[in-house]
Amino acid sequence: MIKLDNVSLVFQGGSVALSNVTTEISEGEFVYLIGHSGSGKSSLLKLLYKEFSPTKGDIEVVDMDVTSLPKWKIPLLRRKLGIVTQEPQLLEDRTTFENISFALEVLGFEEKEIDDKTSTLIDLVGLNESMYKFPSQLSGGEQTRACIARALASNPLVLLCDEPTGNLDPDLSIQIITLLEKINRAGTTVLMATHDSSIVNRRKKRVLQLKDGKLMSDVDQGRYV
Amino acid sequence: MKKLNYVFKNTFINMRRNPLLVIATMLAVLVSSFLVFTTLSARAIVENNTSRWQNGVHVVIFLDDRVTSTAHKQLQDTLENYPEVRMVEYFTKSEASDEFKSLFKDQPELLQEVDFDILPTSLRINLNDPADYQLIIERMDGNPAVREIRASGEAIERLLSLTNTLVLSATIFAALIAFAAFILIINTLRLTAYAKKKEIKIMRTIGASSTYIRLPFIFEAVFESLIGTSIAVGLGWGFIQYSKTSFIAESIFDIAISDSYLINLTLILLFSTIVFGFFASFVGIRKALND
Repeated sequence: MIKLDNVSLVFQGGSVALSNVTTEISEGEFVYLIGHSGSGKSSLLKLLYKEFSPTKGDIEVVDMDVTSLPKWKIPLLRRKLGIVTQEPQLLEDRTTFENISFALEVLGFEEKEIDDKTSTLIDLVGLNESMYKFPSQLSGGEQTRACIARALASNPLVLLCDEPTGNLDPDLSIQIITLLEKINRAGTTVLMATHDSSIVNRRKKRVLQLKDGKLMSDVDQGRYV
Repeated sequence: MKKLNYVFKNTFINMRRNPLLVIATMLAVLVSSFLVFTTLSARAIVENNTSRWQNGVHVVIFLDDRVTSTAHKQLQDTLENYPEVRMVEYFTKSEASDEFKSLFKDQPELLQEVDFDILPTSLRINLNDPADYQLIIERMDGNPAVREIRASGEAIERLLSLTNTLVLSATIFAALIAFAAFILIINTLRLTAYAKKKEIKIMRTIGASSTYIRLPFIFEAVFESLIGTSIAVGLGWGFIQYSKTSFIAESIFDIAISDSYLINLTLILLFSTIVFGFFASFVGIRKALND
């Protein structure tokens, strides 16, 4: 599902974000990407959805050669991915329902489909009681849930989550992780970047550990040391 | 269809965000288009008028009455043999008197005062190309039968030169205003793009294509430009219709301009406006939407 072969990313000015990273993630896996701030977690995720291009190496995501993907094909790649960022990106002037239906609208779904699918997604992330609330009226956890629901709008094959629990307290973080695991059980591959050791150590999943842009370890049921 | 709805809806939402800038843009396009429309129409009207004059008499040779009528006839024959000359008409003293009386029939005092004997006989020359009037003047210079030569070509040239200057000035002015409109559109779109920064980022993340994100901006620029030009063209048509019956038509020109010319001009202007809107939107959001 995801393949990185000797991938490096060096920014203008010479700072190295990733160095010779090679790994593979299969369909249906749930993988944690861990490391301290600046270790290269976000950069790696951004390479996967072609926000960045690698300086060296090859990347393949959902059978698409991301390295040589032309600009006009990037939307096609992103429609196969769900992307959740650390800061919940919600439109302040729209309700939870509208924020989620917005994605479906952009993807070109018919009105009836949009309503049905939005309701299903809201149900899935457990925001039934907050569907007509605006982002400012939602808690941090609810905002993240709304973002996850929106990321699922295109029925993605892979869900890329960049520190979705970064701003949440431990209880809310567990709720989000539980939700992501539920999504994973339904067949979606999940790659989640986090620096929260308590989460990773408790869930016993595959863990990729980055340090200074290098892949230090790749352990199934690993722990964040 | 759903996507098109989204594009239209967002075009109007965008326009509602900066109403004053939108109005300023439309006004700038309106003034610019009005200037282009009226200037080109005015040039066509002047060309029509001058062309009519040019079909009339171009050179008048007043003859010396002391010279015999045989000499006058010889001169007429000579002129008729020139390849530049289309037609030569001999105008007698009595015909000159009749013309004078007809022209000044409203001024009986003047008619009483004038001694019609002083009105000379003349040869009225129609040229194939009115621009050749200078050639005739040169050839007739020093001829004993000629008392004076008058050429309408000079007046026409002066008028055309004045018209061309006016057209050039108006075109430069229209171009400057069009440039102002261009800057206004770019500014409006950039403000909108800035206000929608988050929305655009989300759309990119979801997988919306660049074209889809750009379309509301393109529609906005084209729509604002089209509204401005449509009003300008309407005002231009109205102005020309009014001019046809106004003092302008009575005192200076016959406002002769065909509907087909005006329709073509309208279509060209509207098409140019669409291209203008596309180009302005392309420049305006290129940086803001750069992936």
